[in-house]
Amino acid sequence: MQQIELMAPAGNFESLQAALDNGADSVYFGVEQLNMRARATVNFTLDDLPEIAKRCQLKQVRTYLTLNTIIYDHDLSIVKTLINKAKEAGITAVIAMDQAVIMTAREIGMEVHISTQINITNIETVKFYAMFADTMVLSRELSLRQVKKITEYIEKDQIKGPSGKLVEIEIFGHGALCMAVSGKCYMSLHSYNSSANRGACKQNCRKKYTVIEQETGFEMEIDNEYIMSPKDLCTIDILDEVVNAGITVLKIEGRGRAPEYVAKVISCYRDAIDSLNNGTYQKEKVITWMQELEKVYNRGFWNGYYLGQKLGEWATGSGSHATQKKVYLGKGTHYFPKPQIGEFKIEAYDISIGDTILITGPTTGAQEVEVGDMMVNDEKSEKGKKGDMVTIPLGFRIRPSDKLYKIVENKVEA
Amino acid sequence: MVVITLQRNKCIGCNYCVELAPKQFQMSKKDGKSVLLHAVDKKGFFTLKSNEEAILDDCENASKACPVKIIDVKSV
Repeated sequence: MQQIELMAPAGNFESLQAALDNGADSVYFGVEQLNMRARATVNFTLDDLPEIAKRCQLKQVRTYLTLNTIIYDHDLSIVKTLINKAKEAGITAVIAMDQAVIMTAREIGMEVHISTQINITNIETVKFYAMFADTMVLSRELSLRQVKKITEYIEKDQIKGPSGKLVEIEIFGHGALCMAVSGKCYMSLHSYNSSANRGACKQNCRKKYTVIEQETGFEMEIDNEYIMSPKDLCTIDILDEVVNAGITVLKIEGRGRAPEYVAKVISCYRDAIDSLNNGTYQKEKVITWMQELEKVYNRGFWNGYYLGQKLGEWATGSGSHATQKKVYLGKGTHYFPKPQIGEFKIEAYDISIGDTILITGPTTGAQEVEVGDMMVNDEKSEKGKKGDMVTIPLGFRIRPSDKLYKIVENKVEA
Repeated sequence: MVVITLQRNKCIGCNYCVELAPKQFQMSKKDGKSVLLHAVDKKGFFTLKSNEEAILDDCENASKACPVKIIDVKSV
């Protein structure tokens, strides 16, 4: 069986660490403004490149820089700078849409991956881009049957990228879907000047709309008002079919999502891929993975287009359907390595023995544990409240200023 | 007096400010972000104080159009 590479999103150091801790084979991330999450509150900078590369190289995880927005003339110099710095830092490849990016990367011998925005849908186009790229993300217009045909052609016609290896095919496996062709939508631009193609999508397609005829005031009845917001893609229940289509890379969407999302989704898909490899992929496991995936941010799940089903699986709300949510409790203050105890200051709500807590930080990543034992203000106690100093035995190191959360059930509106 | 500020590090280089207020803004060829001409830099906040009231309209339009809302325009 083909070895599948599990590719994780990293929007910041917390998510990057969560991806590394949970078994990702590769990570993709944006730096500065020329990536599809340019509006994110936290974005990696040029200076972060060496640290990203170092952390990933330690775990032998491949690193891909997303440089896949539209590019204006005034961007050409920063494109060169970004690609040069990426190569210098030892980043594996650049994910590109614009031909200027492809050319710039190839000029200095940097590996190129073709972004889904290029929308490759046939073998001749694969041959064309094979002149520049070793890995390609195919278009979402393709069913798994069509993907399989393309991967068979690559094998049969021995289509190789610049590295001399057969072209690898990558597809999205999990995460948000766009009503538009991925990243090629003008809705946000026309309503807010905020271009999705520049990584500044305002996601106004995710809102509730009604359709009213101006002349008569007649309002069209729409069963589900979220007429432009598809459910999230999920392929964990059809992963055997996805892998049989001959893909090499399974990409998880979510550079804008929280580190615990990355941790949960990557750990589920890692487990699923490993189960496929050792012949233990079965229905019971799928049910468990689905329950785990539902705990973190999602708009409901769907795997429609890969199986050639009709479209129209719309979300039933503008936000998340996650069955769990996190509540902020406080900050980490100290870690005692010998007894392996973490100390926290509680700034909100309360914490009790038996609670599931989540600790996130740029170096810590996203660690979830159950509180088995606890001291409050140096005395054994069942419960800590706002203002208390709490110490908890932890099997991993925490850092000052790490954030502490409690995981609670989330009542989802039907 | 017109006071314009630009929080440059959050700029996504969309070019709107240059289109709407070309006398006050330029795109930097170096890093692809907007430059507020003749401005004073204070910890990443670039400020221009001008007695030319005529620039107010263009700058206000640039501020309204900015998708990441990093341009602030005041008439004092």
